[in-house]
Amino acid sequence: MLKLTRRRFLGKTTAGAATIGTLATLPGLVTAAESPIAGDLPEIALSDTLVAHVRDLASGEISLLVGTQEIIYRDPELVGRLLRAIH
Amino acid sequence: MSSHREAPEIAKDPVADNTDVYAFVSPDHPHTVTLITNYIPLQGSAGGPNFYEFGDDVLYEIHIDNNGDSEADITYQFRFTTEVRNPNSFLYNTGPITSLNSASWNRRQMYSVIKVENGHATTLANNLISPPCNIGPRSTPNYENLAQAATYTLPNGEKVFAGQRDEGFYVDLGSIFDLLDLRPFQNLHMIPSPDIPGADATKGANVHTIALQIPMEILTHDHTYPHDRNSPHAVIGVWGSASRQKVTMHTEQGGTQAIGPWTQVSRLGNPLFNEVLVPMGKKDLWNSLAPQNDHAFVEHVQYPELAKLLPTLYPGVFPHLAGLSAAREDLVAMLLTGIPAGIIPGFQNFTGRKQADMLRLNMAIPPTHTPNIHGLLGNDLAGFPNGRRVFDDVVTIMLRAIAGMTYPLMNKDFKPDVAATQITDGVVPSNRSTAYLSSFPYLGIPNNGFDNPASSASTCTNGI
Repeated sequence: MLKLTRRRFLGKTTAGAATIGTLATLPGLVTAAESPIAGDLPEIALSDTLVAHVRDLASGEISLLVGTQEIIYRDPELVGRLLRAIH
Repeated sequence: MSSHREAPEIAKDPVADNTDVYAFVSPDHPHTVTLITNYIPLQGSAGGPNFYEFGDDVLYEIHIDNNGDSEADITYQFRFTTEVRNPNSFLYNTGPITSLNSASWNRRQMYSVIKVENGHATTLANNLISPPCNIGPRSTPNYENLAQAATYTLPNGEKVFAGQRDEGFYVDLGSIFDLLDLRPFQNLHMIPSPDIPGADATKGANVHTIALQIPMEILTHDHTYPHDRNSPHAVIGVWGSASRQKVTMHTEQGGTQAIGPWTQVSRLGNPLFNEVLVPMGKKDLWNSLAPQNDHAFVEHVQYPELAKLLPTLYPGVFPHLAGLSAAREDLVAMLLTGIPAGIIPGFQNFTGRKQADMLRLNMAIPPTHTPNIHGLLGNDLAGFPNGRRVFDDVVTIMLRAIAGMTYPLMNKDFKPDVAATQITDGVVPSNRSTAYLSSFPYLGIPNNGFDNPASSASTCTNGI
């Protein structure tokens, strides 16, 4: 089964790796705490379920949850498209 | 209760509810320490067909701080997996369960043990079996043997057990939550009635236990044996926790899927901390935090609500407590920093000024041959709040401490009220239906569902 590393995965999102790299320098906008569970896969399979939680509509802050990981980034354009989809 | 259903959110999630933590030098193996965390409170033993079990979607942890910074230096993690052998049967078992491999045991739970030290995770064991619940004499005819077979020794010498046990914590819940009408003293209550003995509300209930017995050298910061009770090296801080993944989705197939990082939903160090000291509006927050953040709660320890209520509920009985307005640094020492040397002769369990709710155990203090259930308050240095043994009367100890009995440790001029040295809920361990064990895992054999509650016919027969 094709697997993606987190970096590759993020490269396929609309935000792109460059945006993540910039935001990662901001406090509170990096990967949330991860418990060091033995056996956790460092890579993300395409078959994994991914939950995107829009934490703040105004700023476009999104939390991506997959496996035992959480990645937080900001994409106002994507949030804007999501909002348009529900109206 | 100690920490059973003690906060609004966790009261709705019993599988993750950390109810009690115990830490003591093992009386029969005094070179080891036994650590116990309990979950799933107030189990009725006849609760089939889906008998109680650990959560496959919960991360259970026992944490140890061994250098006084109130952060976990060693963590033992436990993850469970449930197998259903025959999904076409509605039964937990289809015949007697005579061994951990009995084919008639339909719903079996296994677990892994992972040790995390200095950020490095090591799997110590996989596929250990948790014994079945104690169903009754036909289904689990030799329960003691089943539980014994489910006690394992790990590669580094730790013993481990995870499964159902008799609830070890005893308390008169009915009286405490009825305006603290302690039955042995209710003639003194503001709404008085004749004194009667206490009623043990957890008698006959079961709980799910994770127990470890660990050589002391594994626990100390430099991995040497702690000989000197005066050394900080001899003191560890212990707490338990349960975590769930951040998101749970209910699937169209009737199941659930959990996603995201582990998020702590329950924790416990000292008994009754979140239950009695932390106010309702902060209890859920407290459960989500690590002990290193507990300075934010220190005002609730310094000025406990219960200390203000006692003189009101028992008019004229606590005049000295009523006049005590200073911060209760005795309680801060008991619960948040440990007791420094020089206050109680021959004793210290101080971990530094950092305030954190941890159960602090001085491992260099040997077990007592004739223990006093009132621990330090009964001049027994091996009992609570030096760690906690399964039989320690933590309700009475905390009631007396909050009532002012321990304040002279910080201010010798204070004279406690006579009632502060006598107050109790009137429940003692000798009234338990099931005895504690003298060896690992120390908590008694769980009550079986057939005999609890007993048939009215058998009650009648016994009564004749």
